[in-house]
Amino acid sequence: MIDFTALTAALHLLTSSWQPWMVVIPGILIGLLVHAVPGLTTSMALAICLPLIPYMDFLQALIFMTAMYAGSVFGVAIPAILLNVPGSAAAVGTTFDGFPMARAGKHNEALGLALAASCFGQLVVYLLLLGLAGPIGAFALKLGPPEMLVLSIWGLTLIGTLRGRHISRGLLAGAFGLLLGTVGLSARGVPRGTFGLDLLLDGIPVVPAIVGLFAAAELFNLVGKEYIVEDLTQRRVQASRILAGMRQAFEYPGVLFRGAILGSGIGIIPGGHAIANLLSYSSARRAAKDPEKFGTGDPRGIVAAESANASSEGGSMATLLALGIPTGGATAVMLVAFSMHNITGGPSFMRDHADMVYAVILSSLAQVAVLAVVGFAFIFVAGFVVKVRLRMLVPTVLSLAVIGSFALAHNIAGPITLAVFAVIGWIMQRFDYPVSATVVGLLLGRRTEGDLLRTYQMSGGHFNFMFTRPIALLMLFLLAASMLFPYLKSGRARSAANKKVMAH
Amino acid sequence: MINVAGRKIAVDMPHFIFATGVAGWVAWFCWDAWHASSSIENLILIVPVSAVAIILYFFVAASCFQRIAESAELPASPRHPLAPGVGVKIAGSMALLIALVVAGPLVGFDVACFFYMLAMLAFLGERRIPVLLLVPPLFCVVVIYCFNTLLSTPLPLFFGERG
Repeated sequence: MIDFTALTAALHLLTSSWQPWMVVIPGILIGLLVHAVPGLTTSMALAICLPLIPYMDFLQALIFMTAMYAGSVFGVAIPAILLNVPGSAAAVGTTFDGFPMARAGKHNEALGLALAASCFGQLVVYLLLLGLAGPIGAFALKLGPPEMLVLSIWGLTLIGTLRGRHISRGLLAGAFGLLLGTVGLSARGVPRGTFGLDLLLDGIPVVPAIVGLFAAAELFNLVGKEYIVEDLTQRRVQASRILAGMRQAFEYPGVLFRGAILGSGIGIIPGGHAIANLLSYSSARRAAKDPEKFGTGDPRGIVAAESANASSEGGSMATLLALGIPTGGATAVMLVAFSMHNITGGPSFMRDHADMVYAVILSSLAQVAVLAVVGFAFIFVAGFVVKVRLRMLVPTVLSLAVIGSFALAHNIAGPITLAVFAVIGWIMQRFDYPVSATVVGLLLGRRTEGDLLRTYQMSGGHFNFMFTRPIALLMLFLLAASMLFPYLKSGRARSAANKKVMAH
Repeated sequence: MINVAGRKIAVDMPHFIFATGVAGWVAWFCWDAWHASSSIENLILIVPVSAVAIILYFFVAASCFQRIAESAELPASPRHPLAPGVGVKIAGSMALLIALVVAGPLVGFDVACFFYMLAMLAFLGERRIPVLLLVPPLFCVVVIYCFNTLLSTPLPLFFGERG
């Protein structure tokens, strides 16, 4: 699978000059910084840096962009853990256990866990790409609407696991989110639930809504308190505890590997990057012996979400390099950078510039080590957020979120959405509804509707159409198995316990 | 608490109103979508999910009503009570956030942010005059400058070019 001639040429490209490496640290730092501000995204940062691309040679430009991408993939975890602010959909899963850990004074460990899981996820996916970039890209072409529908359903099963103490409230919150996700123009081109407002024709701006539901609502709860971490002794930022968190991530090798492999697979699908963290979180929770601990500050939740999030980035790169198809905003901007150097991504790129493809993969592997060091230093500084008084932090974060949401939506729909969902989120928390179930519904609503509709149109309404899609069938089987496995396991444990009692 | 046919029933009215509001929006949204187009392309997800949501609402609404014995005391609130003064602080913070969102496009986000920061700091208990005088203008200048320089969508501003 590996073209050793091209690999040797790639090594020569990377080692013959120090210039391509000059951009790695600035790239990673920009990526990390971008997500410190709610509302700024990776694609925005890449787009802002596009004017620099013509001044770099192609390899340097590619390394610069992948470094930014690598930094931002981990960067989203920092506000998600410290402030419950998921800067993008890719960090939603990280908030579930990250913020409870931070509130319990384990912010050092939580950030360390996220960094280690992120580095591990990136390492795994780029090692996979080194041998399988071509086949992975070709596999992406086999995935159509039915397979995407199964993935969406897989994501929706998370609502069931996030239902909280009251099943009916949890499921109602999820259904509410799903419907909110379908507000706006339909496939027929008719507006639904827009109150006649043009601002809502594109739907409810998702990231401002998530920031409102999660972050703003949580910040309201913190209003009467002095600091995020109430215990003074726990408020310290300690390198040793960050390192302990990094080590702790490797105490869950199964969760790490499952997340990394799931993320690599899901990342190759358009839009998959956003849901990889949720699917991995959901799988880890289902596979756990004590799933009730998830959502209360369980390290496995962070590890699962972050390893999948990081590896899905490499999956996106596979589709970009092998097929020339962007799977998200960031890879779309990268494609623009390709064109600035008169290069088109896709099979011809893989064939004619195999050395360049290997150089990108090898440099990305090296970037993992740089990210571990730069990310460690960055979170050491970012961790000081817990030392800022909440009366200073709350208005600062809320103002940034309002301005950021304007920038994201390009109009006032962003700030209005944020404010409305902040109030709804707080009320939902007050009445014990799991806000995360609404967020999952909101994230997947439009996507599920689109996939369902396309599958329906392809099948002509015949259910047996699914039997002509072996990959979709296999995915459905895996989904069913992963859902039934915990019940079978607990049933077997119960019957074993009963036998023991009978024997005595 | 209400009395139905001589039976005492405790009602969690705030929760009931919220759940009914959600169910009302779901019903309206489904009707609006149906009204816009009754084709399957338009309703393939909305109708089944709305139906499920309405069924779930009945379960949730039923949980808001709790029958209590004739001699029994009223059950305690299902929610933990807010500490004294915290409810006012939360309501005030929500009102100030809404004021920022409404005022931003009208007077410009620079001015709105300045007053929001000042008001929130004071409202949340900041009494140090240098902090109150320095933080809001500094924050506004740095943040607004960065956003306006970096982003293609100019923010509506009072000072400088309006978006």
